[in-house]
Amino acid sequence: MAGFIHRWFLSERPLNSKVSELETSWNPRVSLIRLKNYKPTIKDICHYGFLSSVLLFVFISFPAPWLLKLFVYCLFGLLFMIPITSQLFFNALPIFTWLALYFTSSFFPASKRPPITVKVLPAIETILYGDNLSDILATTTNSFYDILAWIPYGLFHFGAPFVVAAILFVFGPPTILQGYAFAFGYMNLFGVIMQNVFPAAPPWYKILYGLNSANYGMHGSPGGLARIDKLLHINIYTQGFSNSSVIFGAFPSLHSGCATMEALFFSYCFPFLRPVFIGYVCWLWWSTMYLTHHYFVDLMAGSVLSYVIFLYTKYTHLPIVDTDLFCRWSYDSIEKFNMVKSNPLNNDPSDVENVPLNMMATSSAMGSELDGELDTDNGESNDETDGDEDAGNPRSMSPTLFDLSNSSATSNTSLDLQGDATPRSIKPRAFD
Amino acid sequence: MRVTSFQFPKTFLGFLPLYIAVEVVLGITILNKCSGAYGILAIFTGHPLDFMQGLSYLWSIFTLIVYAQGLYEIHKPSLLTFSQIFVFYSIDTICTCFFTLWFTKVWFGVESNEENQNGISKRGADIASQGATQAYEYTITMFITWVSLIFRLYFNSILASYVKELLSNPRFMIDQDDVAQDLKNKAFYKRWWIKCQKESYKLCRRLLA
Repeated sequence: MAGFIHRWFLSERPLNSKVSELETSWNPRVSLIRLKNYKPTIKDICHYGFLSSVLLFVFISFPAPWLLKLFVYCLFGLLFMIPITSQLFFNALPIFTWLALYFTSSFFPASKRPPITVKVLPAIETILYGDNLSDILATTTNSFYDILAWIPYGLFHFGAPFVVAAILFVFGPPTILQGYAFAFGYMNLFGVIMQNVFPAAPPWYKILYGLNSANYGMHGSPGGLARIDKLLHINIYTQGFSNSSVIFGAFPSLHSGCATMEALFFSYCFPFLRPVFIGYVCWLWWSTMYLTHHYFVDLMAGSVLSYVIFLYTKYTHLPIVDTDLFCRWSYDSIEKFNMVKSNPLNNDPSDVENVPLNMMATSSAMGSELDGELDTDNGESNDETDGDEDAGNPRSMSPTLFDLSNSSATSNTSLDLQGDATPRSIKPRAFD
Repeated sequence: MRVTSFQFPKTFLGFLPLYIAVEVVLGITILNKCSGAYGILAIFTGHPLDFMQGLSYLWSIFTLIVYAQGLYEIHKPSLLTFSQIFVFYSIDTICTCFFTLWFTKVWFGVESNEENQNGISKRGADIASQGATQAYEYTITMFITWVSLIFRLYFNSILASYVKELLSNPRFMIDQDDVAQDLKNKAFYKRWWIKCQKESYKLCRRLLA
């Protein structure tokens, strides 16, 4: 076994590389020393401040004995202090915060909840997308479609986050799992907050009750999954969805959010399999609407939430993937995005042939003022470029999710350029 | 007609670079355009589909293809591609406003019919049941519709700004002609696609350069 692991995973490991190593210490003093030397940034203060306020809210709201709640919080505190457990539990703090809020949601008193909307989602769906897409897809049902819809919605959705996390850990660059936990946790946390602030009835409600008013005393419905219960002679989905924590939490769809987040992370690490991941998201979208659990607008809200949080995580947290490397132990260093350096509009000020035309125009009009302007505008990027020997290295550029093509930026000796850079009497040749 | 006198945003939300804005804009728009692919499935499921719905779904599928090429080129943009995207995005913005108006009319027609048929009473005084009032639902619906349209216009201006930057940057100047691209020996749809990009480029030069 050890030989197999060494042959497959450790054979490419660079000498003296420590980036892929895990913390093995059980001594809380290590964490205390780190905490003492830790200097929080504004971003850290916002991050921990927000999560702490949610956890405090849960601590006060959750209807359990105070001692028990205190014990659970202390237990987590201990797990955060022990280095070997801290690397897992502390990085998953956004996920625990989401779970804590989700399971508290069912205990909010009805009198303090916002009113339930039943018309907003079908109205928005029709106005923005022409019709109720869930109605369109659920017009024809049969057992084959039921099973096909059940697989991603009722099975894969619950196991996929763990599978994705395990694969990212082994085959992704070191620290990518931290980014995944951050993005996945925040996406779900924002999703649950939105579901509580804006309670909305799912498509099955319209089928059962029309556009009649809803109330918090109602039970949830398994929608199309009731057919799966019947088909498999089980009662899991009927029971589970009837007692869901957020019955009127149609908007946004966290099924869609999770699937999109998983697909985005996988596409980021394994771009050659991107069509498969896009296909999975499309399959899940179809099944969600077919089973009458969500409107298309819910799916969009979930996916857009995931996409925005993923982009934020990509540009601020994620390590850059080298697709030539096999697994986490093949990396000898971790590189992160540089938003300024990755900007395709940024020109190297030392390259006089690539000075933007508007600057050239300014130059001719204002003479020597250009020099000062150039220094001011590009000073930051210039400094960073000078300091980095890999500035021209494609690996140092961010491998965008969809970035497959070669640059079409061509010679700067183009006649087209000359046409613009020189007086208007010289007509540009291209396409004329 | 030139739009150079407009003040396009130089950054996204006041602090992020434009290329990230374009990544956000195209991603969100592409996700929304997937609605066309699901809507058109009505042909197979037997759900009634009227002309305007069919038109909007087919248009969504077409624009999805146009926008998707932009996401592949975020870090190495091509002026031709982004000119085409900007032109179609602008046309799409006008279409979206039209479809929004049209389907708003359809929805309120359907809603009043359903209420007449089912005899649903007004829910204004029934707040004790925790259901939203008619006014609340109407306000939220209109709010979301307006917000989506305003964002659409903002996204359009972001794309305009990005194409304008590309036009003024020598790195992205175009140095190709039909012979270099071997257009003669390419399939009809490829020739049409490239021609479309070139026309878009010319239009963008006239409007934004």
